Amino acid sequence: MSRLLSITLGVLTAIGGFLDIGELVTGSLTGARFGLSLAWVVVLGVVAIMLYAEMSARIAAVTGRAVFDVVRERLGPRAGLANLTASFLVNVITLAAEIGGVALALQLASDVSYLLWVPLVAVLVWVVLWRLPYGAMEKVYGLLGLALLVFVVALVKLHPDWGGLWHQASHPRVPTGEGHPTWWYYAIALFGAAITPYEVFFFSSGAVEEGWSRKELIDARANVVVGFPLGGALTIALMAIAAVVLQPRGIQVDHLSQAGLPVAVAVGKVGVAVMLVGFFAATFGAAMEVALSSGYTIAQYFGWSWGKLMRPVQAPRFYTVCLLSLVVATGLILTTIDPVKLTEYVVVLSAVAFPLTYFPILIVANDRAYLGDAANPRWMNALATVMLVVILAASLAAIPLMIATKAGL
Amino acid sequence: MTLPQELDASRSLLDHLVMDLEGKPLGRVDDIELEAVDGKPPAITALLLGPLALGPRLGGRLGTWWVAVGRRLRQDASAEPPRVPFVAVTELRPGEVRIGLLRSEHEPRLMTWTRDKVIKPIPGSGGAA
Repeated sequence: MSRLLSITLGVLTAIGGFLDIGELVTGSLTGARFGLSLAWVVVLGVVAIMLYAEMSARIAAVTGRAVFDVVRERLGPRAGLANLTASFLVNVITLAAEIGGVALALQLASDVSYLLWVPLVAVLVWVVLWRLPYGAMEKVYGLLGLALLVFVVALVKLHPDWGGLWHQASHPRVPTGEGHPTWWYYAIALFGAAITPYEVFFFSSGAVEEGWSRKELIDARANVVVGFPLGGALTIALMAIAAVVLQPRGIQVDHLSQAGLPVAVAVGKVGVAVMLVGFFAATFGAAMEVALSSGYTIAQYFGWSWGKLMRPVQAPRFYTVCLLSLVVATGLILTTIDPVKLTEYVVVLSAVAFPLTYFPILIVANDRAYLGDAANPRWMNALATVMLVVILAASLAAIPLMIATKAGL
Repeated sequence: MTLPQELDASRSLLDHLVMDLEGKPLGRVDDIELEAVDGKPPAITALLLGPLALGPRLGGRLGTWWVAVGRRLRQDASAEPPRVPFVAVTELRPGEVRIGLLRSEHEPRLMTWTRDKVIKPIPGSGGAA
């Protein structure tokens, strides 16, 4: 019974943990501009992250190696360093965007400018990493993230034309007045938000640190197989309410408050309050994960001690890197750069760095010297290879499309 | 100690994690030292660790710069990377080389420096300042 409870708890936290500032911004933005015509990308992204998160967790549980161990070993020092540099930059910018997201949620709740909240949020993230029992905090934020189920409530209360929504989603076409390059540009943004590499860095490093065995792998699979699709469903619900409320009125999402507008229309003040709790939890939880991930990647590349369960003096280089990236990210968001725009850019930029992270995972997941009978079955390789081709295509197209569309204008 | 007489160093040694007696990481196998005794094929004599070993493998300007940073980190002005004699290796596992030494006796400078100058002064670091 307690085992069932722990699995349920894990799945619930995975749902909340799936959503972060990337999904909140891109989901709402694409819903308002393109209706549900890009919903298929969310499905594709969920399948991709499910496959690669499961593989990285399996590698971690069977061999005790996290993703960047594998990257350094398989790509060698040069290509590994190129990936490290790209991943670290993307991590720092993502961290800035998440901190901005938390601060914006607090601004919406308090009417005090987000810039004043930013330093406080940064200190709070630091305190949690430094002192508080991390596992418990992770669960708390994951569960609070479930407040975002309010998107589903809002969708139901809006009494949408379900058939019409389904038709939009199942027969994707570029809406009139929008260009194909722009549509594809936002497709990459949505895909990038779903499979941001920090998720696999964090997931696999946590697995190594908590010493997962094959038994825990079952829990992890439940999280991946049930939690991620439900998280993806929440993203689609967010798209759908934007499509129903914002698209007909021609409202574009360039602030987090507009993402919340449909909830205000459908559920009222209480709905908005619940949603803000969800915004806060999702972005704050992600900020902690991203801050740790920047330490994980560097420490694993160089073979340093690392871990959120270690005291700072036991892993001083790891904690120094986490602290530095938090300081730099805070500085970046304090330049008054628009957090929503920053999010849009970083999800697309992270698409560029994808293949260098996901390719070594696929290689090692097939290495029987490492994994023995836990190596990938054939069907999984087939699916993962298809996804790798998609990932590669997204990576190659990201920058040209960004330039061609002037970042989605 | 049961080590293979022949091994593919690029697959089962280079870039692998070096673990000490207590399972603490010492770094990665950034390079290896080979020695040829006359007539015989070259044999691995040591694992080389740290930026002074990694720099040359990165190559180019970046590699030169890497070595320069590594030198500044060394307390003694020696240009030699820290080496672990190959006889200290006790076990080769996938992705990992176990050695019969203790990290506490060979702590890297960047580790002691960040610990003493950055981490310890912050309250709650787990070590008395």
